[in-house]
Amino acid sequence: MGELSELTPGKKTEGYLARRGQVLKACIVLTAKLFFADPQWIIPSIIAPFIFTLVAFFLFGGEASGSSFLLYLVLGSGLMGMWGTTIYGSSNSIGFDRWNGTMESTLAAPVPLSWIALGRVLFNTFEGVINALFILVIGLAWFQVGFGVVNPGLFFLASVSTFLSLSAFGLLMCTVILLSRKGGFITNSMEIPVYIATGTMFPVSILPMVALPFSFLLAPTWGIEAIRLSALPGYTGLTTSYWTDLALLAVETLAYLAMAFVLFKRVESYAKRNGTLDEY
Amino acid sequence: MTSTESAPVAALSAEARLRMALRVFRGAFLFGRKGLIVWDSWEMWVMQIVITPIAQIGFFALLSIYLQYPSSVTQYIVIGNAMQSMSFAAVFAVANITSQDKWQGTLPSTMVTPANRIALFIGRASFQVLLSALIAAAGLLYAATIFGVSFATADFLGIAVTVLLTSVAMTGFGLLISAVGLYMRTAMIVANIFLFVTLLLSGVNFPVSALPAWLQPVSWVIPLTYGTQAARMAIAGSSFMALLPTLGWETLDALVVMGAGYALFTGFENLSRRTGRFEEY
Amino acid sequence: MSQQTPDPQLAVEVIALTREYTTRSFFGTVSRVTRALDGIDLSVKTGELFGLIGPNGAGKTTTVKILTTLLTQTSGEAYILGLDVRKDLYEIRRRIGIVFGGERGLYNRVSAIDNLRYFSDLYGVDSVVARDRIPQLLKAVGLADRADERVEKYSRGMKQRLHIAKALVHDPELLVLDEPTIGLDPGGARDIRNMIREMQKQGKTILLTTHYMFEAEELCQRVAVISKGKIVALDTPSALKKLVRDISVIELRTYGVTGDYVEAIKRLPNVVRVIADLDSEVQTIRIQSPLGADLLSQVTSALPSDAKIIDRTIKEPTLEDAYLRLVEE
Repeated sequence: MGELSELTPGKKTEGYLARRGQVLKACIVLTAKLFFADPQWIIPSIIAPFIFTLVAFFLFGGEASGSSFLLYLVLGSGLMGMWGTTIYGSSNSIGFDRWNGTMESTLAAPVPLSWIALGRVLFNTFEGVINALFILVIGLAWFQVGFGVVNPGLFFLASVSTFLSLSAFGLLMCTVILLSRKGGFITNSMEIPVYIATGTMFPVSILPMVALPFSFLLAPTWGIEAIRLSALPGYTGLTTSYWTDLALLAVETLAYLAMAFVLFKRVESYAKRNGTLDEY
Repeated sequence: MTSTESAPVAALSAEARLRMALRVFRGAFLFGRKGLIVWDSWEMWVMQIVITPIAQIGFFALLSIYLQYPSSVTQYIVIGNAMQSMSFAAVFAVANITSQDKWQGTLPSTMVTPANRIALFIGRASFQVLLSALIAAAGLLYAATIFGVSFATADFLGIAVTVLLTSVAMTGFGLLISAVGLYMRTAMIVANIFLFVTLLLSGVNFPVSALPAWLQPVSWVIPLTYGTQAARMAIAGSSFMALLPTLGWETLDALVVMGAGYALFTGFENLSRRTGRFEEY
Repeated sequence: MSQQTPDPQLAVEVIALTREYTTRSFFGTVSRVTRALDGIDLSVKTGELFGLIGPNGAGKTTTVKILTTLLTQTSGEAYILGLDVRKDLYEIRRRIGIVFGGERGLYNRVSAIDNLRYFSDLYGVDSVVARDRIPQLLKAVGLADRADERVEKYSRGMKQRLHIAKALVHDPELLVLDEPTIGLDPGGARDIRNMIREMQKQGKTILLTTHYMFEAEELCQRVAVISKGKIVALDTPSALKKLVRDISVIELRTYGVTGDYVEAIKRLPNVVRVIADLDSEVQTIRIQSPLGADLLSQVTSALPSDAKIIDRTIKEPTLEDAYLRLVEE
C-alpha cells in the first residue's frame, strides 16, 4: 500500500455555477454508467409502449390508410415511451439510492439533493428520448411509412421542449418517491392515467370535462400538441396554436421546477427530522 | 437423537408428509400475504384494485370511442381489459417471488429447508390467486358501473368460475416465470414482456382471429385467452354448460403450464445448486 | 443551557444533546416517545482519535448521524469544526469524511474509480487535483490493481478500504468512522486500523465508533462510553481501566464446556462477571473476580469430566471489563 501522506491536497472547485455544473456532470455520468451496466429495465419502457402501439394498430383496423395516421400512431407510441421512462426512471432517480444503500452517502454530500436528482433525471429523460426514437424507427419500419413531418424545425423545438418538461416533471415525482415508501407505486400507477390525460394516443378533446383540468396542468400535454401540430399535416387537436402550446408548456415546466426545488428542501429537512429516508 | 429433533423427511409416512406439506403451504400462504410489503397499506390496495384497472380499461375504451366503433366493440374491449387487469397480481407479483427472495438474500435459506417445494411456492402464490381474482372481479364491476357493460342476462356462476379458474391458471404462468427467476436474472423482464404480450395476444382488445395466422397458436397457450372468451360468453348470457369446453381447455392449459413450471423449478433448482447461482440477482 | 460560541480548539463539541423518536398511531396521535439520546456532552480536540463505544441501541449511531448532519437533534447543541450542525450543513459536509459501517454506501455496478470520481465531484474536489488524488488514494488503500473492476466483485475488506478512500477523497479535516472494521477478517481489520493510525498522523481528527473494545483501547486517545442514551464515562482507556482495578481477570481456554459450567462459575462467591464465548472449537471464558488466582482451584474443580482446560492466564482488566461494568450497572 502507498502512503496516505503522499496525497495531493484536495483543492476545491470555486464558484456556485462551477460547483453546480460539476455535480450535474457527475450525476449524469454516474447514471449513464449505472444504466449501461444494467439496462434491463429499459426493455419494459420500450416493449410496453410498442405493444400498446401494436394493439392500437390492430384496433385501428389493420391495414389502415394514410401514412400521416400511422405517423400519428407511431409518434404517440414514442411519446408513451418517453413518459414511461420519466415515470419509472426519472422519478426513481433518487429512490434508487434507497434500495441500493447509498442514500446516506447521497444525503451526506455537501450539495442540495435537488441538484443530484436533476443530474440523474436529465440522463433518464434523455434516455427516454432515445427510447422514443427507437420506438419511432421500429414503428416506421414495421408499418413501412416515411417520416415526413410538416415542419422539422418546429418539430425539433417541440420535442426538445417536451423533453425538458418531462425532466421537470420527473424531478417533481422524485420528491413523491422520497416522501413516501410507497412513492414508487404512486408514480407507477400514474403511468396509464398520464398516457390518457396527456393525449398520447388520442386527443384530450375526447376526454370527459372533469378530466380536462388534469390534462391541462400536465405540461407535456401542450408539448404533445405542439409536436403533432408540427409533424402531422392537417392536425387540429385543441384550439390552441403551436406557439401558445409552447408558452403554456414553458410556464408549467418552470412551475414544476420551482415546486420541485421547494419540495426537495422539505424532503431533506423531513429526512433529518425523522431519520427515515434511508430505510427502504 | 433427542426427542426434540424430528425424523428425516424421507422416513415419514405419506400422511405425515402430506401434513407437513400442508403446514408449509399454510405458513407460506400467510407469509405471502404479510411478506409482500406492498399490500400492507390501503394506498396499495386502492392502486391495484381501483386505479390501475380503471385506467387500463379506460385507455382502451377511449381509444375505441375515438375510433367511433360501435358500443358492442367498446364493450368487447372493456371486458377483455377487465379480465387482463388481473395479470399484474397473478403473473408479475408471483414471478417476483424468487427474484424478491434472491434480492433479500433469503433464497438460500429457503432452498436449504426440507419443505415440500410445491407447497412452498404454491402457498406463497395462493394469496395472489385470491388477489388477482378480486382485481378481475373489480374490473368487471367497473365494466358494469362505469363503462356501461350490461350484465342483465349474465350467468354469474359462469363468471365466477371463469374468473377463479383464469386467476389460478395465470398464477401458474407466474410460477413458471418464477422458476426462471431461480436461475436467471431476466425473469422480471420476461414477466414484464409477458404482461404486455397478453394485451396483444389474449383476445383482450380484438379477437385472436385478427392476428396473423402464425401468431395465433401462441395465443392459445396463454390461459387468459380462454378466460376472456369465457367471460364474454358468460356476460352475454351463455349457460354454464356452454362454457365448459372453453373452461375445460383452460384447465388443461393450466395443468400443462403448472407441470412445466414445476419441472422447470426442480430443474433450475438443481442447476442453481450446481453453478452456485442462487445468490446472483 | 446553550453556548453561543463554540470552542475553536475543539473539532467536535456536543452540549446537552437530546434526540427523541416519536412513533405515531394510525390516527396520527403520539403513541410512544423514545429517548435515544438523553443529554449527552462530549468534546473532541483537534487532531485527536476519539472513540465512542456502547452496546447496540445505546445511541452511538444516533450521535454519529447528528454530528454528520444527517439527523437533527431534539434539543442541545452540536458543533463540528466550530460550525453549527443545524445551520452550517453544507460547509460541515465539505470538511468531514464519513465511513458508514457495513457493505452499503457504494455503487456496486460500477468500478472503484468511478465511485471515487463521482464522490470527488459531489464533494467539489477540483477536477485537475482529483486526477492525481484518486489514483494515489487507491494505491494508499491497496486497490490500485483492481480499480477498474466493479465493486460488486470486491470482498468485504476491499469494500471497506474503498469506503476509507471515498471518505478521504475530498481531504476532510474530520473523519467519522462508524464501526469501520465490522465483519472483517483479522487481516482486513488490521489493515483498516493501520490506515486509521496513518490518518491521524496526517493531522486528521477522528471520531470512531466500535464494538471491539481492544480496538478502542489500541487506537483511541480518549473513549466515551454511551449507554441508554447517556455518556456514562469519558476518559483515556487507561483511566477507564482503573475503574475496574479492584478485579483481576482469569482467562480460560477450554474444550467441550457447556453453558452449565458457565452458570456454575457465575454462582461461585466473589465472581463479579463471566464472559464466555462457547461457539468456537476452542472456547474462551473470562472470569472477573477480586480473588484473581485464588479462584483458580474452585474454577478447575467445577469443570465437568468431559471438558478440558487448555490454558489459563491471569490478566489485568481490559477496557472491555471496564465497559461491561459501566454499561451493566
